[in-house]
Amino acid sequence: MTELQEARDTRTQGLQVATRHPVPKGEPILELRALQKKYGAVEALKPASLTFLSGEIHAIVGENGAGKSTLIKLLTGVIKRTSGEIFWCGKPVQLGTPHEAIERGINAVHQEVVLCAQLSVAANMFLGDEINRNGLMRKRAMTDAAQRVLDDLGFNLPAGAVLGSLTIGQQQLVATARAAMRGTQFLIFDEPTAYLTRQESAQLFRLIQRLQAEGVTIVYISHRMEEVFEIADRVSVLRDGTHVGTRKIGETNEAELIALMINRTIEQIYHKEHFPPGEVIVETRNLSGPGFQDVSLTVRAGEIVGLYGLIGAGRSEFALGLYGRHRPSAGEVYWKGRKVEIASERVAMNLGIALAPESRRDQGLCLNLPIGLNINLPVFNRLTRGLTINGQQERENADRQIRDLKIKTPSRRVLTSAMSGGNQQKIVIGKWLSHGAKLFIFDEPTVGVDVGTKAEIYRLFARLLENGAGIILISSYLPEVYELADRLHVFRRGRLVASHDYRAASHEEVLTQAIGV
Amino acid sequence: MSAETVESGASAAPRKGVSILFGLTLLGLLLFLWLLLGLATNSFWTPNNISNLLRQGAMTAILAVGQTFVIITAGIDLSVGAVVGFTSVIVAWLLAAGVPLWAAIILTLAFGVLIGAFHAFGIVRMGLPPFIITLATLTSLRGIGLLITNGSTISITNEAFTNFSRADFLGVPSLFWMVIVVAIPAYVFLHLSRFGRYLFAVGSNSEAARLSGVNVHRTIYLAYILSSTCAAFVGLLLASRIGIGNATQAEGWELQAIASSVIGGTSLFGAVGSVHGPLLGAFILATINNGANLLNVNSFWQRIITGALIIVIVYFDQLRRRSAR
Repeated sequence: MTELQEARDTRTQGLQVATRHPVPKGEPILELRALQKKYGAVEALKPASLTFLSGEIHAIVGENGAGKSTLIKLLTGVIKRTSGEIFWCGKPVQLGTPHEAIERGINAVHQEVVLCAQLSVAANMFLGDEINRNGLMRKRAMTDAAQRVLDDLGFNLPAGAVLGSLTIGQQQLVATARAAMRGTQFLIFDEPTAYLTRQESAQLFRLIQRLQAEGVTIVYISHRMEEVFEIADRVSVLRDGTHVGTRKIGETNEAELIALMINRTIEQIYHKEHFPPGEVIVETRNLSGPGFQDVSLTVRAGEIVGLYGLIGAGRSEFALGLYGRHRPSAGEVYWKGRKVEIASERVAMNLGIALAPESRRDQGLCLNLPIGLNINLPVFNRLTRGLTINGQQERENADRQIRDLKIKTPSRRVLTSAMSGGNQQKIVIGKWLSHGAKLFIFDEPTVGVDVGTKAEIYRLFARLLENGAGIILISSYLPEVYELADRLHVFRRGRLVASHDYRAASHEEVLTQAIGV
Repeated sequence: MSAETVESGASAAPRKGVSILFGLTLLGLLLFLWLLLGLATNSFWTPNNISNLLRQGAMTAILAVGQTFVIITAGIDLSVGAVVGFTSVIVAWLLAAGVPLWAAIILTLAFGVLIGAFHAFGIVRMGLPPFIITLATLTSLRGIGLLITNGSTISITNEAFTNFSRADFLGVPSLFWMVIVVAIPAYVFLHLSRFGRYLFAVGSNSEAARLSGVNVHRTIYLAYILSSTCAAFVGLLLASRIGIGNATQAEGWELQAIASSVIGGTSLFGAVGSVHGPLLGAFILATINNGANLLNVNSFWQRIITGALIIVIVYFDQLRRRSAR
């Protein structure tokens, strides 16, 4: 018996009575019948019927906003369904609370680790389920047990270390080990490799395959096609809240899945217009700073310069350096041929640089303030007459952006947090359109944005280029930069490692350069 | 992040309307208390008592307005009570040393500016949490004040100065006029100028504000300097009222100011607040104290009632916010 099973068995004697209904491999373990979730009038998940077979690895793919997160939340009891039925081992169940889901053996490992960063690895693995004797925690016993599980899984991790001192990838492995210990029958992975290195991903895949061998059913959510084909037995596709199909992995291919996911050809989404390149707007020479080294590139009026790379490759750091958020440590920046020192964000803005940052929530928006205030934030100095703000201009400016960008809101006074991802992104863009700029830096502009809004954003790019601006487009989604960028730069570990003209290299080539095999 | 954010825009009430409504509710509560006390006692609606009430509430009100600027940036200023005591010593000391009144007043206010700048320096440059840096000055300012006076008090003999707090103008106590003198520019600053908008933006998301070109450091300096300067101003008024400088005066006033601000709808998480809210909050608290005195309620009970009131009002405010979502 492996340590993992042992640890799991000690758990089942404790609080965590995982009701183990033996379902033979290949029989349905979880069945969804016409499962639906509505938020008000919005249908986040249209009636979906899906069957998960015991012991399979079932991938779920779909774009951001396709309903994947809603599905996970329904299965883990975080939200309640509006209608439909869920059958667990052939019996109808509620799955109304996270507690019920865990008791039945349904667990999830999230993309962003939701554990306590200040506690030790062992304490996190036993969190809520500690080993006690006479009301006192047995810290040593827990650390030893956790260490045995980690060693057994082949993770080279110390159980006594503070969780926060590990990398995100290592924390993800801890979260997985934690779920694996808890009598899990059914384990959902929500884009687990987003922040992992290749080595960590490989470790995670070995763990997943091992769990499968022990009879655990795995749901694997990802939008990385290569992973799906590497690991899954079957794959289901979601699009705009609809379950559009399930395929055996041997009977489908990438093209079919992508067609199912987006239901339109690539040309229809990626609206690309070519403009004759104009003057050089900005040129960096051997620019280095925190997180990026030796980056030399130019942006001309009328062109999109794409920066592609994995998360953490230094693209956003380069953008922040260019924007004056982090002071570059070496190298030069030339603005329209003139050498400049961009010492602060204000300096960058006054030159004519606009940055729509990577994270709307953390960097882009004041979420608990009204839409109007967010749109006007970069331009209040321009709206000020004497001591006070010109209220009429303030209102007009906000309303104009809301109208032009078709932001769906009853009023500029609505709090930004009430908006959907797509509308929030439009508010970020509206800020910079009202300020005006010569160089627009868009960092992951379409994350969490629905397909319709994506197309609108791409069309807006064309409008900006037409007016003589240049664009730096940062994206982790290869088709986006590949189809839109006039020149594509690939980043790896803080360095610019390759450059290609429009569609000059294949997807595989670019991906290989980004990963660096 | 692929969490589906759900459009609930249609149900979110426009913010400004709600804030006015909440202001009116507080005003209603204040008028209700006055009506109730008028019916329950004979002495409430006498000119003498009303003047007294306005004097009592005035100083907390000014402190609460300054405090609100800081709380909107998601900070806190625990030092304001100590600043009041300290600056009362400073002005008394300067007057005793023969400094002319106008110079003594300006120098005292300058001390307020310096103290606020020191707080902001600690927060911005040293990376200290606002709670800690202002807690530190809370204790050390009282200590410095006691060192200056050697533990005793300094009497103020300048009659022009001490008469001011007893004087009336157009039948209204001059101390209450000082509330208006502070409140009007404060309103213009917070609600009509861009610096007010910046306070809210920094309190909501300082990184987003910075990337939008807001000078976050300057905004934090501004908030703490305003708070300490309001406190120094109150120190002048207190010295005028009691005719002495004493570093142990105004004990616990920082909590009164925070309570007034919170009752007035300011969120301790930042980015929510107004000027009229804390003013109403301060006078609601003053009315409760005044009414309890008139009704001969044990002063220990006053404290309990004040505590209960904070819970009730803030709880209803929370309910309102939740339903507005």
